[in-house]
Amino acid sequence: MSDIYEQAKLSVINHDKAKAMDLAKKHLDSGAEPMDIITNGFVPGISYMGEEFGRGTVFLPELMESADVMLTVVEVVNEAIAKLGGGKTAGPVGSIVAATVQGDVHDIGKGIAVAMFKANGYEVYDLGRDVPVEDLINTAEKRGAKVIATSALLTTTMVEQQKLEKTLKEANLRNKYITLVGGAPVTQRWAKRIGADIYAENAHLGVVLVAEKLKEFANKVAS
Amino acid sequence: MGMAIAHAQASGMGGMRTAGDLVARVQLAKGLRIREAKQYVADRLHISVIDLVDPVIMSEVRAELGLGIMMPLGKTPKGVECKFNIERLLGFEMNCLKTFKVNAGLA
Amino acid sequence: MSKNYTRMGDGSPVELTDAELRKDLEDGANDAADRGKVPSLTEEDYKYLMELFQRKDRFVGVDVGNEVVLTYDEGTLKLKRHALLEDRLQALTIYERLFGADTIELCHVDYSYKPVKPIVGYEQGSLEMALLMTHAPLLYGAMPNLGLYTQPDGPCPNPMELLPQGKIKEARESYEAIIKDSVKDIVFASAAMHESGADGINFDTVGASGDPDFLASLLAMEQLTTKYPGMAIEMGMAGEFVLGTHGDLYYDGTRLAGLYPHGQVVLAEKAGATIFGPVVNTNTDRSIPWNLARTVVFVRACSKAAKIPVHANMGMGVGAVPVWDYPPVDVLSRASKALVELCDLDGL
Repeated sequence: MSDIYEQAKLSVINHDKAKAMDLAKKHLDSGAEPMDIITNGFVPGISYMGEEFGRGTVFLPELMESADVMLTVVEVVNEAIAKLGGGKTAGPVGSIVAATVQGDVHDIGKGIAVAMFKANGYEVYDLGRDVPVEDLINTAEKRGAKVIATSALLTTTMVEQQKLEKTLKEANLRNKYITLVGGAPVTQRWAKRIGADIYAENAHLGVVLVAEKLKEFANKVAS
Repeated sequence: MGMAIAHAQASGMGGMRTAGDLVARVQLAKGLRIREAKQYVADRLHISVIDLVDPVIMSEVRAELGLGIMMPLGKTPKGVECKFNIERLLGFEMNCLKTFKVNAGLA
Repeated sequence: MSKNYTRMGDGSPVELTDAELRKDLEDGANDAADRGKVPSLTEEDYKYLMELFQRKDRFVGVDVGNEVVLTYDEGTLKLKRHALLEDRLQALTIYERLFGADTIELCHVDYSYKPVKPIVGYEQGSLEMALLMTHAPLLYGAMPNLGLYTQPDGPCPNPMELLPQGKIKEARESYEAIIKDSVKDIVFASAAMHESGADGINFDTVGASGDPDFLASLLAMEQLTTKYPGMAIEMGMAGEFVLGTHGDLYYDGTRLAGLYPHGQVVLAEKAGATIFGPVVNTNTDRSIPWNLARTVVFVRACSKAAKIPVHANMGMGVGAVPVWDYPPVDVLSRASKALVELCDLDGL
């Protein structure tokens, strides 16, 4: 079994969609738990790509191609689960509204984060760059998103992240959302100061921290 | 501005207080690395390399050669006047004087 | 056990025991060595850095004789940020006469080559006036800033919107069009300022948009130095490795994506750079000793590979300087000293 997981991991790393589809089908035909190949094979593959991207050995188009493979196999596995009559599907694991803040046109970091979240099974509403706080909140409300993620590359625009926190509080919506902040001048110290829930040094870490926070959030709601 | 001041104090050559601007000119014009650039300027000024970062020695050298000093009182070379002296001293054509020479009818 | 007072990458104070300090230095150095495939620090380096962080001095500096040349980015903008009531020519004289700057830099408030294009005549006028009254070498600086060429701020489709949609071919085509447009603007503005007498041109934050940004800068530099032999150009980078946003761009047969400083400097030299400014990003979740050891490993490899002068970037969030607008001098001066002395630098 571990061999098929290893091959699944490699199919994502090599962005080989045909191979990934073939492995997913083989796994489903074997009668094994459908989600296992996602958790043990494809997810480690995309995580590896995210880490290597952060080291400069994997490039954005390759990361995007791997993300595309990931999205395709998740769809195949979900369809199989639905046919079997329900059970735990692979996603979406959460929904996120993401943007570069108003006044800021730097969107590379945000673009990478959007791709990484999508590849990890999140539903992402990417509002682009130069986006007012009000648009972020309205979209989150309309789409029922759980996470609002903002990126700021300038010391002059990071105050928009503070404005988001303040506006959410004033609208009595703060506890409804998990806020994530990122960008070159943004730090943990800044996140703490403005009251943001998560600061992520890079996109890969953002995915990990959001997953942890969502789990915490769900446990809090359940209890 | 703490950044610029702190680096200047911690590691910088001292600019016009010393020979920092002259060594910088040699780096820019000739692409020389720091040791060679310092040696070049020291040779042209007939002083030792260590003197290049000494504000006492360099103030006197600069005043004598008209290279520009920190507190230029009356009848001392300033700005572009000093650049002519610097160009002659360093022994290569400086881009900053090309347009000036054309505009002033000197070229 | 006495502790050593230092800071985290975001500037927050932290105290480390000797063992913690040594471990952070080793971890930082080994991380850089592993990523860059370059040699890590020696026992002698660790001794130097341990002593540097164990010292109680609030401020330290290089040993006499080890001083280097300073070049600046955003020269005339930085005073403006502090809401000082001065104009750009006054700012240049403040740098020269008060800060002891070895070089000075004139720049426009937009600090990008594209917006300089329509106002280049005004910029030339200001530069020529500045040249009359200053003494230090005067550079003109701006960023390639490829983001300004994408919709809605420019003519080309935004690759960062196309890529997450899986439109890789379209994104790459857009980047290729952006490169052509940006090279034209960089060459146009730089040539004008050179002809007006700038002592050098500064290409700042090169690679901010990834490999297309790096390629545009290399091509512009090649064109400029071919047209104006001897023209001085400083290339300051944006990040420690070239982000592969296109991923398949080459210069002189070398793939640009993923290049670390010791690879970047070789191409900068080939394209005609006079001075190269490597960048190593500060990790705010780690201590300054971790960041400094890591920076030394990358920058030393770059300095060893270089034939041209190397001026490492040491501003907010780069070169082991904390991500803070006015970094504390305790860590800033330590980073400044160590980088110059351990990396055999030519400038900062």
